[in-house]
Amino acid sequence: MSATQTITFDDSRLEELAQQEPQAPWGRRTSTFRAAVIPGVLIPAAIIVGLWFYSDLPKPVLMVAVYLPLQLLAAVGAAIAVRGTKSAADAIIIVLAIGATIFSIVVLVSLLWSIFSKGWEAMSTAFLFQNNEYISPSTPLGWGGVGHAVVGTVLIVAISALIAVPLGVMTAVYVTEVRGRAVPYVRFFVQAMSGVPSVVAGLFIFTVLILSGVLSQSAFAGALAYSILMLPTVARTAEEVLRLVPEDLRTGALALGSTRARVVLRVVIPAAKTGIITAAILGVARVVGETAPLLLTSLKNDRTVLNPFKDPITALPTYIFDNVAQPYPDAVVRAWGAALVLMIIVAILFILTRTLSARGPR
Amino acid sequence: MSAAEFDEMSVESMDELETSLAAEPVTPGTVEMEARDLSVWFGARKVLEGVNIRFPKNTVTALIGPSGCGKSTFIRTLNRLHELIPGAKLAGSVMYEGKDIYAPEVDPVHIRLNIGMVFQKPNPFPSMTIRGNVLSGMKLSGMKRPNHDQIVEETLTAAGLWNEVKDRLNAPAGDLSGGQQQRLVIARSLAVNPHVLLMDEPASALDPGSTLKIEETIRELRKDITIIIVTHNMQQAVRIADNTAFFLSLDGNPGRVIEQGPTTEIFGNPQDQRTLDYVNGRFG
Repeated sequence: MSATQTITFDDSRLEELAQQEPQAPWGRRTSTFRAAVIPGVLIPAAIIVGLWFYSDLPKPVLMVAVYLPLQLLAAVGAAIAVRGTKSAADAIIIVLAIGATIFSIVVLVSLLWSIFSKGWEAMSTAFLFQNNEYISPSTPLGWGGVGHAVVGTVLIVAISALIAVPLGVMTAVYVTEVRGRAVPYVRFFVQAMSGVPSVVAGLFIFTVLILSGVLSQSAFAGALAYSILMLPTVARTAEEVLRLVPEDLRTGALALGSTRARVVLRVVIPAAKTGIITAAILGVARVVGETAPLLLTSLKNDRTVLNPFKDPITALPTYIFDNVAQPYPDAVVRAWGAALVLMIIVAILFILTRTLSARGPR
Repeated sequence: MSAAEFDEMSVESMDELETSLAAEPVTPGTVEMEARDLSVWFGARKVLEGVNIRFPKNTVTALIGPSGCGKSTFIRTLNRLHELIPGAKLAGSVMYEGKDIYAPEVDPVHIRLNIGMVFQKPNPFPSMTIRGNVLSGMKLSGMKRPNHDQIVEETLTAAGLWNEVKDRLNAPAGDLSGGQQQRLVIARSLAVNPHVLLMDEPASALDPGSTLKIEETIRELRKDITIIIVTHNMQQAVRIADNTAFFLSLDGNPGRVIEQGPTTEIFGNPQDQRTLDYVNGRFG
């Protein structure tokens, strides 16, 4: 049909068109496809199931050294049969990607499972809320708990967040908004700081502030060590989210006669609000499980301590460290229980991050 | 607005616009802004050379020319936004109300407050409501004006958006369509009472309906303020501008103003061959 005349919509066909079923034509498979892909999946699977029961090889070796190459070969074969030699690389990458994903999921799940299965035994209201004041490592489960360590962790982490989050956000503001001459150096140091081993952060506070008598070993000293570790995470994440704020908004605000400070406070930071909250939570999650910085700075204490400046204090990581080294099985179970509590705290933090960032504008 | 409605409206309004142009001949009043021998660099690269333009008070001046000829750069020198780009340099002067805006004692914040700007891409503040966006200029500049409700209504009406948003002033600005957002940022720049409004292709990303509304707004605003607008749409320049300046940068030379004058002259009787070629769509 040539386009020499106009064609209008034919209303009489409406009824006929209403009969159309939604389909996914791209999902249709040819018989060659089935003939190649079904054996390509089933044959390696059958071989591995057989070897799983009749071979003496350790199971992980079996999976990595036998199943993975077999599946690679089968996938390449199937791909060549269906689409020709060019698709062989596709097949290899897909199999490797799926294999790597499964591998990391298996590692992660077995880690979580071992904490959960070993720590669950310790769980009780007493364990969650009591402290260790009248408990010795050999006391059976059912008495004493991590209450004081949860308080310790919350106290130390909250203080370190109060220090590191404003500092980190201001650093990010310097890099992305002030854009001063020192930006490359600031970025370099922040990057370098994120490589500081956590024990060094603890040692630093210990030698500079505790040995010199400025601070006693306390929650505050621990929090200072934590904030050294938290700062680079907060600064770098905040920098990333501030960079995402479109330049248009800054010029737009400046064109309205705004000062630089007001641009940052009223336009840029509000636009990046959820991202900055994420930065803070990621910073907290970065340090919450750190043990080494606390070993020299906040020590341990079986009592519940609320004054962050006065007494040594136990946090969850130091509680785990302390109990896992005991020769009594119940103490080791307590350590696993504390690990479970810590893991749940981190999980709550991450879920919080996700929901907060999902709710953000745009 | 349906397509038919729009068609009808556009034809009528175009006629109206042309009659209004004819009815109010341009009288050269006082000069509000002026560029004198202005040259602009990015680093070592000279992008504009020897620009001399006068912008009389209460007129609309269109800046036309092919992409990359320095129009947007030029307009950004007029309210000191150019200097925010690292490596930016400049020679010559920009006069506003008889004073050089680049004089050392001049506060750029003050200049930008008086010389507003609307950008090519709508940039409402996403964290604020529609109302909050209109009033944001006052908050950001620390300007005190009473009767916020009245300002919101007046400026949104002037920007041709009031009827569409009057029932949802507290909705997030991001909920508006692109054309509505652009009219919102026009309202925002009007709320601080600028004397000059710079517009950098304000309608380039908009549908014909929104474009028309913005053009009507510009014609309306001309009674109170001076407008300088960059546009790639030559019909638009003809419809709204009293004066037109044609920028061109050829063979890697910096952009220069090839020809300027009353819009009717530039389009109807251009003196330079290159202007003639450009306005007739033969290059660019």
